[in-house]
Amino acid sequence: MKKVSLLISILVLFSMLLGACAPKTEAPAAEQPAAEQPAPQQPAAEQPAASGKTVLNVWSFTNEIMTMAVAFEKSHPDVDVVYTMIPMTNGEYQTKLMATLGTADVPDVVALEAAFVKSYVESDFLADLGDLLPYAQEMEVYPFVTDVGTHEGVIKAYAYQATPGAVFYRRSLAKEYFGTDDPDEMQKILGDMDKFVAAAEVVKEKSAANTYMVASNGDFMNLFYANREQPWVVNDTLTVDPLVNKMVETVKIFRDNGYEARATQWQEGWFAGMNDTLTDAAGNPKKIFSYFLPTWGLPYVLAPNATSADGTSTTVGDWAVITGPLPYQWGGTWLGVMKDSKKMDLAKEFIRFCTLDEENLTNWATGVYTNEYLKAIDPSVPEGQYQAAGDFVGSQVVVRKITSSFDDSEMSKFLGGQNSYGGFAEAAPSVSARLFQGSDDAIQRALNDPLNSYLEGTIDLDEMWSLWKDAVRNEFPDLIIP
Amino acid sequence: MVHKKIRKINHGYLFVAPFIIGFLLFGLYPVYNTLSLSFTDATLMKADSNFIGLKNFERLFQDKTFITAVTNTWELWIMNFIPQLGIAMLLAVWFTDVRLKIKAGGVWRMLFYMPNLLMPAAIAALYFSLFSYYGPINQFLVRSDLIPEAIDFLRNKEITRAIVVFIQWWMWYGQTTILLMAAMTSISISLYEAAVIDGANSWKMFRYITLPLIKPVMIYILVTSLVGGMQMFDIPMLLTDGRGSPANAILTNNIMMYMRFRSSQGHIGAASTIGVMIFIMTTFVALLIFYLLREKHDDFKGKSS
Repeated sequence: MKKVSLLISILVLFSMLLGACAPKTEAPAAEQPAAEQPAPQQPAAEQPAASGKTVLNVWSFTNEIMTMAVAFEKSHPDVDVVYTMIPMTNGEYQTKLMATLGTADVPDVVALEAAFVKSYVESDFLADLGDLLPYAQEMEVYPFVTDVGTHEGVIKAYAYQATPGAVFYRRSLAKEYFGTDDPDEMQKILGDMDKFVAAAEVVKEKSAANTYMVASNGDFMNLFYANREQPWVVNDTLTVDPLVNKMVETVKIFRDNGYEARATQWQEGWFAGMNDTLTDAAGNPKKIFSYFLPTWGLPYVLAPNATSADGTSTTVGDWAVITGPLPYQWGGTWLGVMKDSKKMDLAKEFIRFCTLDEENLTNWATGVYTNEYLKAIDPSVPEGQYQAAGDFVGSQVVVRKITSSFDDSEMSKFLGGQNSYGGFAEAAPSVSARLFQGSDDAIQRALNDPLNSYLEGTIDLDEMWSLWKDAVRNEFPDLIIP
Repeated sequence: MVHKKIRKINHGYLFVAPFIIGFLLFGLYPVYNTLSLSFTDATLMKADSNFIGLKNFERLFQDKTFITAVTNTWELWIMNFIPQLGIAMLLAVWFTDVRLKIKAGGVWRMLFYMPNLLMPAAIAALYFSLFSYYGPINQFLVRSDLIPEAIDFLRNKEITRAIVVFIQWWMWYGQTTILLMAAMTSISISLYEAAVIDGANSWKMFRYITLPLIKPVMIYILVTSLVGGMQMFDIPMLLTDGRGSPANAILTNNIMMYMRFRSSQGHIGAASTIGVMIFIMTTFVALLIFYLLREKHDDFKGKSS
């Protein structure tokens, strides 16, 4: 009896020890990080299939790149791309990636979103991808796309898409207030920031304050930030560009004059304006004249929300897109290779294929990668994994080649016959991203709350700046803040 | 004989070993690691880190935001704990009162406890929608002419704080009620019978029988609530923008710690410093509570403490 219980206790102890040490002693884990990931929401993780293939580990925060990974396997049959999707809704992806840096679990290829790509490009964790530069030149990648991936002359990340921003406006309302819904005419009316403010007054007057020029003050942020002359951090010192002051001034004008609907970006009221179901608290219907959205905003934000949930109200076909008052860029996904990757050549080839391969980019943008297409390569591809036509790619060569194919697409119908691809192609060359810094996102986010308090009138301008500086100091202990 | 005895003792060690090892690995080691990190400038984006002594602490104490976070955490906890204990006490007295004989006690208990079963993320999202500028609360208030125009509730410091306090109260009063009821039902009924014979009223019975006898449970509730309150995170984090807005009104210690951790560089050294400060503060206050509410042996001589 005694021996039995002794044995049991030893077993218990042993299993405890095993359990406790498991995460740390798994040394050769680099081969299979997918297995120990918390199960992704979507069935995105592809298990290593047949042995004998070289495994390439790719991490991303959406299922998008998985489509390319499958396509990559078609042209590289000896490669097995193990795709791991970790959502970034609340920063899980960034946290998980940061925590694996310097460990054996680090993946080969990582997807980096605009908000944090620069902090990786500025770090020592990404490999130099200078070898691929000739391809980028050949494909005439938009300069701002490569600028974002470059730090101190070394390029470490490439993107398959370019994400210039634009202004989307309601055609019917434009006709009513300005007598025209023609994009060229509207571009003249909204061509710079002063004109935009003047137009907001016209909209307010002619609609008896029932149509707002924009839905939220957040709409303006990217626009102004993208056109600064100085970055936020100069010589380790926090710097405020005059255009930031101008932004504060502008959003104050919009709030005080009732040109802005006081909605919050990505929240109910903001979306309601897209399908014309916005009502104020008293029940009066309100309309939104325009939205500032980038390339991806059309297929992923505006189009899905243009019809109300009950189907009674729709604005499909009533939109048009123009460059707007200032050129800007917003979001985008970059790809980089981890320096510690043991499959450097293969990882580079994957990046080249995804971001700088003419055939792949053309297929990507024109809707070739359907679910059936992907299933033919790998039968285990989940239903609903496909890439619809319309993503704006980073290569000018491809853009020129395919623009005309969008003349009669679904997105063109959504825009009342306008070819959005052509519009983006016009806007893209004037975008600048040389001011991108790793700290941008945090610094800009820190301004939102003080700015809102200022707009509410609860604090004055000086208090706003000092609250913002406190918040920045909080996140960047080493920064010099004047 | 002696030999046998020693073997028996060894046996005992084996049985406690799983706990001890688990505690050392998952309890003590993280505390030690946090403490050692708090003296470095470690970040997640850099492979190496330097020992910088007390510089993190120095910076933290100069930071006005930290003072705000500490006062916020205390205010939010106290504001929800006092009504929480009060109402839980009232409910517990009612439901354990033999003379009131409230029916379906189990159903009520379940209803009180229900909010605690909901996910904080879902609750935060729910309240965010309810109180948003275009939300139902504004619609109701404006349409019934209670307020002239919509209010941006979640951009108002006091209202946002009140919402957090209310949610915390609402989520936790059921838990406290159940604990207090358990404590009260364990008091021998004969004490109350004796008191009734002596002519005591309800208040006197509560004050001189119930209250002294549930003191150990009260201390437990106070300390666990304090520990939870000092680590208040999910509701204030998810209710607004995850940065304690508006104007840092609901910025708590843990939100501040998390903000350091998830900053673009991942300042784990600076984040650990806040963790250490929360640890010290909580320990100190918990010990103070134990000291103030300790069993006093001269209780029968003088009533005042």
